[in-house]
Amino acid sequence: MGITWKNLLTLILSVAATVMVINNAPADDEAIFPMPAGKTYVEECGSCHTAYAPGLLPARSWRRMMGELDNHFGEDASLSEPQQLEILKALETLAADGNQANMRMRRIHGAIPAGTAPQRISETGYFKFMHDEVRPSIWKRKKIGTLANCIACHTRANEGRYGEREVRIPQ
Amino acid sequence: MKIRLLALLLCANSAHADTPQQILDGLVAQAGPASVTRGEKLFRGKFSGGKTADSCTACHTENAKLPGQHARTHKAIDPIAPVAQKDRFTDAAKVEKWFKRNCQEVLGRVCSAQEKADFTAYMISVK
Ligand code: HEC
Ligand code: HEC
Ligand code: HEC
Repeated sequence: MGITWKNLLTLILSVAATVMVINNAPADDEAIFPMPAGKTYVEECGSCHTAYAPGLLPARSWRRMMGELDNHFGEDASLSEPQQLEILKALETLAADGNQANMRMRRIHGAIPAGTAPQRISETGYFKFMHDEVRPSIWKRKKIGTLANCIACHTRANEGRYGEREVRIPQ
Repeated sequence: MKIRLLALLLCANSAHADTPQQILDGLVAQAGPASVTRGEKLFRGKFSGGKTADSCTACHTENAKLPGQHARTHKAIDPIAPVAQKDRFTDAAKVEKWFKRNCQEVLGRVCSAQEKADFTAYMISVK
């Protein structure tokens, strides 16, 4: 095949397209979950623990949780009504089964049995699958302590970032 | 003129951001004079009747200038003394909210205005 301008153009275009795909790949792949805009969510739901990304549970789980905040795993996590409504709306919009859910979030949702509204992310199938290589003794380290202490290892969890490169397991 | 405008802007900005002393003054106005010694006793005391934690230090650690760790979730907590963490005791609504939660947690009841004033006075006194 001789080099013609047309061939060359096709080649350049396909190389350019490949580069674009490669450039895009990490972003798609990188376990980034959308987070509610503004500071309310991290301030109110990130004070006692990680501000969990809404995309880790389906909307029905969040709805149930937000209706029982005065007895939240035995704690009083109640909010003023405007804040409660603001947070619930953001959680529903960005939930694992929300309209804008990405592939990863849909997989999370797919692994949750219909008709159940799990309250613990750390008990979902996806969480267990992703962490089956973390040895039990690691979870017991003082700075980690529980499976749900995401931010102990995922340093940017409060920004919804769970990518491999941002994992630091404390000693 | 310019300076007045600036001053006005600064005032508007700090409308809800108090100093720890202003928060203490507000509590003292309800309770009467505060005692640093009683505040430290509340901070270090062991209590029954609460929930998971039996003391403030269970989460805020014995040294108020050091980061604490939540007794149940193990999340790191910024130091509670304003000398070590400058946004502590600068937002009256936040202070009120956490007294309500944490007194229930440790004492199984709300704290009185006196206890809040004492605790705040102790935290301000930590240097
Ligand atoms: C006063 C402290 C406090 C506040 C505020 C709080 N939580 Fe929690 N949360 C807890 C505790 C304690 C647990 C249970 C931890 C455990 O048993 O490991 C928990 C557990 C959770 C879990 C389950 C974690 C897991 O996978 O095991 C989710 C999800 C959660 N909280 C979401 C929220 C949301 C959303 C908000 C804001 C509306 C919030 N929390 C505010 C204390 C709090
Ligand atoms: C003991 C440290 C530790 C804790 C605590 C922890 N993780 Fe992980 N997590 C890891 C490790 C290690 C991996 C595997 C690294 C990898 O392949 O990305 C991982 C992987 C993940 C992934 C997949 C990332 C990817 O690239 O596909 C997600 C999502 C995730 N964790 C979410 C969470 C959530 C949510 C929590 C809290 C409820 C949590 N993790 C708590 C260590 C931890
Ligand atoms: C179960 C854990 C826990 C216990 C026990 C606990 N606290 Fe706290 N406390 C917290 C958390 C979490 C915060 C908010 C964290 C943050 O803002 O970084 C907080 C914040 C506060 C604040 C707000 C300070 C400010 O201006 O930011 C006050 C006041 C306070 N606690 C008082 C107390 C008192 C008094 C006790 C004992 C009666 C106590 N706490 C026991 C977890 C606890």
